[in-house]
Amino acid sequence: MTAVSAPAGVARVPSPLALAWRRYRKSRLGVVGGWMLLILYLVTLFSPFLAPYSVTTQHEAFSYQAPQAVHMVHKGKLSRPFVYGVKQGRDPVTFARTNVIDRENPVYISLFVRGEPYRMLGIPATVHLFGVPEGQFFFPLGTDLLGRDLLSRMLVGGQVSLTVGVLGVVISFGIGIVMGGLSGYYGGRTDDIIQRVVEVLLSFPRLPILLAISVLVPARWPSTWVYAGIVAVLAMIGWASVARVVRGQVLAARQLEYVAAAQALGVRDLRVILRHVIPNLSSFLIVSATLALPGYIIGESTLSFLGVGIKEPMTSWGLLLKEANNFETLAGRPWLLAPGLLIFLSVLAFNFFGDALRDAADTQSR
Amino acid sequence: MFKRSVTALALITLSLAGSALAAPKKVTGYGSLGIVDGKAGGTYTLALGDSPQSLNYYGVIDSNLGLVAQQMFDGLMEFNLSTYKLEPALAESVAVSSDGKTYTFKLRKDVKWSDGQAFNADDVMYTYENLIMNPEARAGDPGNFKLDGKPVEMKKVDAYTVQFVLPRAAPAFLLQQRYFIMPQHKFGNAKGAAVNNVWPSNTAPADIVGTGPFKLASYTAGQKVALTKNANYWKVDANGTKLPYLNAVEYLIIRDPQAQVAQFLAGNVDQLNITGAQFPDLKQKEVSGAAFKVFRSTALFGSPPFVAYNFDAKDATLAKLFSDVRFRRAMQGALNRERIIDTVYNGLASLPGHGVAPVNKDWYANTKPQLGNFNIAAVGTALNALGIRDTNGDGIRNLSGGKNLEFDLTYGTDSSVYPAIAAIIQSDFAKAGVKVNLKGILSSKLLSTGQSGDWEMILHAFGDQPDPELRKPIWQPGGALYYWHRTLQPAVDGGTPNLAKMAAWEKEIYAIFNDAATTTSRSTRKALYTRWQLIFAQNLPVTPLAKPENIGAVSNKYGNYIYNLGVIPGYNPVPLIFQK
Amino acid sequence: MLTYTLRRLLGMIPTILIISVVCFAVIKLQPGNFTDQYLEDPRFTRATADAIRRQLGLDQPAAVQYLRWLWGVVSRFDFGYSFFQNRPVTSVIGELLGWTVLISGLTLLVSWLVAVPLGIYTAFNRNGLGAQIANFFGYIGLAVPDFLASLLLVAFVLSLGGTNVGGILSSKYIDAPWSWPKVLDLLNHLWIPVIAIGLEGVAGLMRQMRASMLDVLTQDYVRTAKAKGLTQQKVIWRHAVRNAINPMISLAGLSLPALISGTIVASIVLNLPTIGPMLYTSLLNKDQYMALTLLMMSAVLLLLGNLLSDLLLAWSDPRVRYS
Repeated sequence: MTAVSAPAGVARVPSPLALAWRRYRKSRLGVVGGWMLLILYLVTLFSPFLAPYSVTTQHEAFSYQAPQAVHMVHKGKLSRPFVYGVKQGRDPVTFARTNVIDRENPVYISLFVRGEPYRMLGIPATVHLFGVPEGQFFFPLGTDLLGRDLLSRMLVGGQVSLTVGVLGVVISFGIGIVMGGLSGYYGGRTDDIIQRVVEVLLSFPRLPILLAISVLVPARWPSTWVYAGIVAVLAMIGWASVARVVRGQVLAARQLEYVAAAQALGVRDLRVILRHVIPNLSSFLIVSATLALPGYIIGESTLSFLGVGIKEPMTSWGLLLKEANNFETLAGRPWLLAPGLLIFLSVLAFNFFGDALRDAADTQSR
Repeated sequence: MFKRSVTALALITLSLAGSALAAPKKVTGYGSLGIVDGKAGGTYTLALGDSPQSLNYYGVIDSNLGLVAQQMFDGLMEFNLSTYKLEPALAESVAVSSDGKTYTFKLRKDVKWSDGQAFNADDVMYTYENLIMNPEARAGDPGNFKLDGKPVEMKKVDAYTVQFVLPRAAPAFLLQQRYFIMPQHKFGNAKGAAVNNVWPSNTAPADIVGTGPFKLASYTAGQKVALTKNANYWKVDANGTKLPYLNAVEYLIIRDPQAQVAQFLAGNVDQLNITGAQFPDLKQKEVSGAAFKVFRSTALFGSPPFVAYNFDAKDATLAKLFSDVRFRRAMQGALNRERIIDTVYNGLASLPGHGVAPVNKDWYANTKPQLGNFNIAAVGTALNALGIRDTNGDGIRNLSGGKNLEFDLTYGTDSSVYPAIAAIIQSDFAKAGVKVNLKGILSSKLLSTGQSGDWEMILHAFGDQPDPELRKPIWQPGGALYYWHRTLQPAVDGGTPNLAKMAAWEKEIYAIFNDAATTTSRSTRKALYTRWQLIFAQNLPVTPLAKPENIGAVSNKYGNYIYNLGVIPGYNPVPLIFQK
Repeated sequence: MLTYTLRRLLGMIPTILIISVVCFAVIKLQPGNFTDQYLEDPRFTRATADAIRRQLGLDQPAAVQYLRWLWGVVSRFDFGYSFFQNRPVTSVIGELLGWTVLISGLTLLVSWLVAVPLGIYTAFNRNGLGAQIANFFGYIGLAVPDFLASLLLVAFVLSLGGTNVGGILSSKYIDAPWSWPKVLDLLNHLWIPVIAIGLEGVAGLMRQMRASMLDVLTQDYVRTAKAKGLTQQKVIWRHAVRNAINPMISLAGLSLPALISGTIVASIVLNLPTIGPMLYTSLLNKDQYMALTLLMMSAVLLLLGNLLSDLLLAWSDPRVRYS
């Protein structure tokens, strides 16, 4: 809390925020992580437009189609980007799917093509970023068993995977801040009760109780509710540790003169807490929120793996990865592991970003 | 209505062939299955899905226990491995009285328990009276010993003869007598609910005594169940060599199917049953020289998936629609069986029968023409004829009240086939203007969800059995598992179902099962069950989707492999397996 | 100190009671019955279901079931019967406890032994190549879900022609008496779960250690020590590390419940004979006393872990005193 007590009124000293920003920019990995996150979230936001197909459209003739390479040279001549069409068959002995690539007829890729209708941000549209003429198909990352385009599913699946954490963190930090604040500010009986609840919550074994509650989510709920239920479950357990830290900080801040002064001036309790104490906590909160987010992404995938997470027809990286989690995939169709790569990248980005933020917010260790 | 035409019972005494007195049973005649003379020795390792919960077959319903128990115990009767016909096992012969009510089993005199004690009628009496017919035994089967509310009487005639007297003729009775016989001297005459506590999973191996080809050697929770050869086993091969050939059978406890595959590929497990989805990968490895073979088998057992509509759906409009045979028949045209077989099963499945597996020559009636073809346009025409059209132009058909034709499909998420089949159905029904919402639940909860009535359309499967009588609780309207029309079920178990609520065709099926259950004439039963299958195929209480093939992979080290689905009491080819 | 410990122990009792009530409620609230899993078996009838429910006391109100269990625990240390195994919960858990503690304990130990030195190292060489590599592997550990890590490890071993692809012993050693080859076989199997489960923990611990090390390094007493002319070595070991490890001790206490629940997913994929999968199946199938006992074990371990770490802290850090 040294930043707070720094002498005010000295001219041309950069604000703590500007200092932190400067420090953040110095961390190369942090900047990379920040950009990665920005790109991931933008891509997710515009995923229906970026995705060539709808997540549920089944291309019957293209079950487990391998990713199609984009070519620029056809019969020795340079041309615009294209792919070769594929015809599937079956090996008579092993019953394995076989792909016969048709090298005669290139299928040209064009930008801004009309395709399946979709809604993005509530606006109906039919134009996709790229595509091939009707009747032809292009699967940049291949397809799954039912012939659904993996790239489209991954892009749209990000909507679940990347927001689970944000929503979860917002809820758990919201509850945690309020409860921790009340606990630290009032002390006494309120403190006792809240701390007891916190202690109980902290003593719950996380995964088992998560399992138990996910089983409780009624199967008849629409998938969006299930999604909300999972977020709520993840968040309900998460708030306790936040509350504990906030309480400690509030206890410390309560001793500070300006809070006492505010109280003396008759400012209402809650406002005192919110206006004066929380800002001091912000750096801690931002950092721990960033570092908590990857846990939600991994948590969602673990629940999906155990069969109690996101369900069809919604899709998420965890669900996609669960479908890929077998030896046949490793041996014969490794492209299905791509969602794992996205989980990996996003967790990595959050960590880079969070670490850099922490270093930036840390005023002492320079 | 089908008439109760068969009242006079044929007067025949049925005596199933038994070998010479006091000699071991000779196992011969399986040349068609590729069985050759083996040599003694070797250890055969299998995978088990979880630790057996007990070692007492009648104390807990547990398929893992069943798999192990199958090697340690025998019943009075057993199946022929190639024809699925019944043969005497611990019984040497069985005589059925001319009225079909009295069954007299003569027991083998040469059989010894694995601890050397003699096996006799007292063991059989104890097992039936205190385990199988005991309503307190958690895995007993007392239901089969009450016919029309009257009990089956049982008595010991002499030390090697037991007799059952039935209140009425029941042709499937013999088929059921594959119950494992337990040693009375080790059960200490436990009775009532106390039998459940005999032989918990930490019992000393030496105390687990059976008549089967193997006996328990060790049990390590969470890791392994090891069996060794029972030197007292009562079967020999064609040359008179004592069976089993193997010295030991070991079960490694491996929960995850993926982990089972890994252990099989690593050579730690010698035989594994796999799915059509896994076939190409393993077959490719076999073709490229791996030390195992993958076998396809159109075996009789196995669970063909079906879809059912809830006749008693909570939504009254849907319930009325689902009860309408025209709707069910129309929607059959939107079930793309060819695609399901090709995509989901990698082509390793065939068109299904109706309640009877097509490979079951004894009972199967050809109902293929009734399956129809995948034809979305025809579905549209049929739904239009029912007055279900898309009146508001949103692509979804509307019911009479203007509501969208939209319902839930409940399926199991943790299965290798259900999620894909459900997604295919959803996509094809949408093309016909019918909106299906997927409701995924854990597969283990499917049946309880079905029986709760809290569903609209369900994707599920029941296992096929050699005789339709064995599946009566599923297919007879009002049966305990006939859950798609739950209002028919009687108020109390064994009571009369609610006949007033049955459709005409359901009444007919109901009568057919009752008639067939009391008729001893095989040809009459065949005619009855043929009629049933045709009514089934036309009225579709459930709509079967496909009959998956059974696929097994076995290490090249072993000979005489016969596909074995799992727990089928009385069907045990393991004694013939030998290490090359 | 003793009175403090006693007071803390007494204080746990209400917490434990609340947790047990909540856990029991969560188990009971799940739809369905213990007997549902048997419905598919042709031998199973409604009468059997009723008989089982009566035998298990499931026909009693939930509150009675709970209080009976609690009374059993308090009066004769009886944690109830496992419905599944039809024998006391404690004997079922006892069979698996050894392996569970061995695997999770070893995993915890290894991840601490790896993470703490790496944390110190990366704190001192923040931008060195070694630190970057260590960080990178740490990030990988954080970012790969453990079921995928397990599968990849198994596939890797398989591709090398190995046979140690799951379980903790080869078949022939499982029921054999202990011997050197058996121990070697055990070690040959153990490294896979240790990596798959431990990797995630290493990254987190390493970062904690690094952060708390950096904190300490800027403290006055370390500066003073440096100013006094103590050698770098002495500064690091006598002052910085000793103080930086304190926050880690609290963390160690929190990781105690991982002994039970840390291995659920990896145990399913890697087929380990631990309690984890049993917790999972007992929850799904409503084997209520088994599930409740395991949940309680986990909660008690956490509370004890907290207490232990507080006591350890008081012992290792002269500034912390409890009265």
